[in-house]
Amino acid sequence: MSEPTVITEAEFQKFREYFYRKTGISFDDSKRYFVDRRLADRIKATKSDDFRSYFMLLRFQSSGEECQLLTNEMTVNETYFFREDHHFDCLVHSILPAIVKHKKDSVPIRIWCMPSSSGEEPYSVAMTLLERWPGIHDWDVEIIASDIDTGILNKARIGIFSERSIRNVPPHLLRKYFTKVGHDYQICEDLRNAVEFTRANLAEPLDTRNYRQFDVVFCRNLLIYFDDISRRTAAETFFNALNPGGFILLGHSESMSRISSIFNVRRFPESIVYQKPTIIP
Amino acid sequence: MALKRSHIAEVQPELPVQPPHSLPELKAQLASSEAELRRTAILELSKHPDSTALLTAHLKEEPSAIVRETIFTALARLGDATAIASLADCLRTEDANLRNGAIEALKLLPEQTARIIPNLLADQNSDVRILTISILESLRHPKVESWLIEVLEKDPHLNVCGSALDLMVEVGSEMSKKAIEGIKLRFQNEPYIQFTADLALKRINKA
Repeated sequence: MSEPTVITEAEFQKFREYFYRKTGISFDDSKRYFVDRRLADRIKATKSDDFRSYFMLLRFQSSGEECQLLTNEMTVNETYFFREDHHFDCLVHSILPAIVKHKKDSVPIRIWCMPSSSGEEPYSVAMTLLERWPGIHDWDVEIIASDIDTGILNKARIGIFSERSIRNVPPHLLRKYFTKVGHDYQICEDLRNAVEFTRANLAEPLDTRNYRQFDVVFCRNLLIYFDDISRRTAAETFFNALNPGGFILLGHSESMSRISSIFNVRRFPESIVYQKPTIIP
Repeated sequence: MALKRSHIAEVQPELPVQPPHSLPELKAQLASSEAELRRTAILELSKHPDSTALLTAHLKEEPSAIVRETIFTALARLGDATAIASLADCLRTEDANLRNGAIEALKLLPEQTARIIPNLLADQNSDVRILTISILESLRHPKVESWLIEVLEKDPHLNVCGSALDLMVEVGSEMSKKAIEGIKLRFQNEPYIQFTADLALKRINKA
């Protein structure tokens, strides 16, 4: 077996700068082992001679395919309840109050979780609204969760989650909303019935043309997997989907400002989010 | 009030499939005083294969930054020679927003943009050459380093060479060493060039 490629300090720095600029994901020195392991794996998989030749492939491959594969490796593709929980704080303390303050009709507030994945995010939104947002007594809220993967949508509809997935659910919510099923936990029927799960491909305009009049979009940790043009197109899609003044939340390593300037940046105490202008200037 | 199950097709009934508007109809819509209508026209135009000329013609007249961004995205998706030429032409404008929008759109199209890079790097206007180097900064193309070497070897302008050298710090390899050493000799009295060239050489030697 050949020895894995050793990444020098200079190479790590070079890679770190490049990767940050491309993805906004920053690795500090404590992540050195994690990064080195994945780089070495990709160097081997692409049959590159060394870091130098791999970096050239990464940087200059016109399809961007390798950059995408490496990004997938470098991101922990895992979801769980109340992930990045500052967004849920922001939803109840800042975003929803801002929406209802200017809402002139009584139509339900609409929230779109894209991607749904296995349902942890939309169910987290549902529990947050029921438990922490007093406005739920005054407003109807619709939660729509979409994904391109029909298998994962079925899993979301069934709503059975592993111990790992529910690790951030506070005990009182676990007791209130979940039933133990073997080693796993199933979310209650009321919540399963409250969320609409739909299949949609964000990159396909025909798929998303019915997705309109949303007040909030959760699109976290998805756009990092898109190429640059697709990210720009997705931004336009979300712009179409949102009501004027609606908000979009991205994952911690993503920044709309690096994708498109069509949204305004809103700095709330809990989080930075992006807002569709109320009128197009 | 509570959580309410929404059936997306019922809440938002399937929009009727409207026949596509003709190019003249969409052109007329581009003249609307309402930005939202102009944006809608652009989104529809981006699906027309023959719309590039119309979009490029409208680009410099469009007053709304948001609508302009939609045009840039549409042109990037179309990505034909007319679109690329139009985007490149924006590098000459005095309007910084238009210029930056064009740079970002060109970066999205590495293969197509690569075809015009040699001409842009030979442009008489040094600002255009500097802006071209800023495109190279994140253009995924194997010739980036060769183009930078050529700039270091041939371009007479200090700021153009400085920009190329900045980028060399990141992408320079053994093949660039001679050009970097050469630029140090060409601009011996320029501390920034000396500093950046030394940094680039140091990085190459360490790699």
